[in-house]
Amino acid sequence: MILTRQAFILVTIATYILFYLASGAYAAAAACALVHLARPAPQLLTWAHGLALAGSGGIAAAFTVRWVHWGQLPLTTLTDTLSLFTLLAALTMVLTTWTQCARGLLTFYLPALGLVALINAAAAPAYLHTEPMRLQGVLLFAHVGSAFLAYALFFVACVTSAAYVFQAEHLKRRQTTGLFQRLPSLEDLDRILYRLIGVGYPLFVATLLLGLFWAWADRELLGPRWWLAPKILTALLMALFYGVTFHGRRFGFLRGRKLAYVVAAGFAVLLGAYVLLALLGLRTHNFWESA
Amino acid sequence: MSLAVVGLSHHTSPVEIRERLHFPPEALSSALIQARRWLGDGGVVILSTCNRVEVYASRPGPPQETAERIRGFLAESRSVAEAEFASQLYVRGDREAVGHLFRVAAGLDSMILGEAQILGQVNDAYLAAQTEQAADKTLSALFQRAAKVAKEVRNTSGISAGKVSIGSVAADLALSIFGGLAGKTVMVVGSGKMGELTLTRLMDRGAARVLLVNRSLDKAEELAARFSGQPVEFDELASALPSADIVISSTAAPGYVLGPAHFQRALRTRHGEPMFVIDIAVPRDVDPAVNALDDVYLYDVDDLREVTEANIEERRKAIAYCVEVIDAGVDQFWEWLQGLAAEPTIVSMSRELNTIRERELAKTLASLPELSDKDRQEVDYLTKRIVNAILQRPMTQLKREVAAEEDPHTVLHLVKRLFGLKEGT
Repeated sequence: MILTRQAFILVTIATYILFYLASGAYAAAAACALVHLARPAPQLLTWAHGLALAGSGGIAAAFTVRWVHWGQLPLTTLTDTLSLFTLLAALTMVLTTWTQCARGLLTFYLPALGLVALINAAAAPAYLHTEPMRLQGVLLFAHVGSAFLAYALFFVACVTSAAYVFQAEHLKRRQTTGLFQRLPSLEDLDRILYRLIGVGYPLFVATLLLGLFWAWADRELLGPRWWLAPKILTALLMALFYGVTFHGRRFGFLRGRKLAYVVAAGFAVLLGAYVLLALLGLRTHNFWESA
Repeated sequence: MSLAVVGLSHHTSPVEIRERLHFPPEALSSALIQARRWLGDGGVVILSTCNRVEVYASRPGPPQETAERIRGFLAESRSVAEAEFASQLYVRGDREAVGHLFRVAAGLDSMILGEAQILGQVNDAYLAAQTEQAADKTLSALFQRAAKVAKEVRNTSGISAGKVSIGSVAADLALSIFGGLAGKTVMVVGSGKMGELTLTRLMDRGAARVLLVNRSLDKAEELAARFSGQPVEFDELASALPSADIVISSTAAPGYVLGPAHFQRALRTRHGEPMFVIDIAVPRDVDPAVNALDDVYLYDVDDLREVTEANIEERRKAIAYCVEVIDAGVDQFWEWLQGLAAEPTIVSMSRELNTIRERELAKTLASLPELSDKDRQEVDYLTKRIVNAILQRPMTQLKREVAAEEDPHTVLHLVKRLFGLKEGT
């Protein structure tokens, strides 16, 4: 969309206002959840839930404004990808607590989500007014979208693992009051973990297949040895890891506390590897440079 | 109309007196009829449980006078001399009576803080009074509000969270591990009374399959018959262990019956499915080292008692919040009740203005014969709307003023004089 300078400024201001209101709502939701930890009151969780939904609405609105403004899906800057990740993680959390009747999990989920939102808010001034790069074709959009949904599911699974270890440790130490009473049982948490990985793993595999197909179809863009790119190798290893985890739980060999540790470690490795690749300058496939 | 409650409870009176004043369910109906005769006008509700006997009444006149009549009723209906229990009675009037009922219904006045049974008993007492048409408008509103406030207290404060008996705590812990007990297997080793009690609690929560292990197969079979379980010989304990999700151990053995090796083998078969072990025996049956194993959660009698005490302490911590909720509920109810005093005046005001409206309307319509029936109806609606609009603000304000005033009669008298209403309305 071609805008006059005045209109450009107005749209950019609107994007900033929406984005920071949303980040504020996420931070407030996290604060309510943390206060609930110290002084439990169901009202606080209701507010936290509402604020998280409002934050998601705000992020979606800011994302849409950027999309309409630049005439393309904004998926290439740090802020855009973190916004998409936050939005998908928030929706996964809300859906999980709603479908599993595990509202108490919000006390674990929302502070983690608030932290991501705060990191995003700190990085946003460098990106929020810039034009996003154009992605090459629908396949690539699907690849990026499903990748972030899978990451969001793995992230929520990682936080759920923390809740599992918290519950198990408290049971071992006979500390069974406070937050312990408001979290789901160990077996319910184990089931939630299994379902999150059960959806995340096939999505991640689909992401890789879409990416591999795109890279094969457009070999010139990534070069002849695209499959040796560190990020692709890392992603393949992680897919293998989540495959073993998923099937281990499915066939009953990996469950309970071990599953929780493995899932938490898996996400930490995934995150660590991507951060390391970014620091070494090896993060991207550079699939938008020729746009 | 004033409110009063007269009663005695486990706080003020020994069981010897409480049992003599207790109203058994079959005597409640006639007692309510008798109480209404003693009180003359108004309503009455009798709450009689093993821990308290309380009579709630609403009637014209000061609460002290109502309390006197309730005392007389208690002495006569239970055939106990007033002197025998008078010193143990407590009397609460008006706002204090409202606050007392709200605290009782919420379980704050109970022997076991936060227990849930009392709310059902309060509701039953109200229903019994309603059946006998003994609960008037004020008491009906009071008991309905008490139930609402009690539910809010329970739902928001955590006063009922965490059980306070060993068996219930064990059942709650099992739920914290397994979520639900449907389809879970409970193994009982030994035949202690406490073990049976805990098993009953677990079966109440849905545990279906029971394995009963005993050194004496006869005893195991006897218990198995009682609990519809399956007897297991003591020598087969280790091989049956992997199929148990929950193990209750209460043997009289002098040493450990189960150790880490037993559970390590069981866990291998169970692929990490958790096990909950309740060791109620003294001396203990299960080696404490078992608790170091991942996915095995071992609780001995002291641990369960510790959890019980922690739960009681949590309930105590919730009291301050409960009192806040109750006080807010009392304020709301009291405002509503005081506002009721303005109702006859409001009705009278409305009637007076409508009489004027109808008179003036009739005069006007008589001078306008050309108006159609539809037009006449329109004019009628118009005047009604005007009168209602004029009345709305004074009515709302009058209710508020009456509720806020200690002596609402001055306000009501002024309004009556302003509108030329008759006294006594």
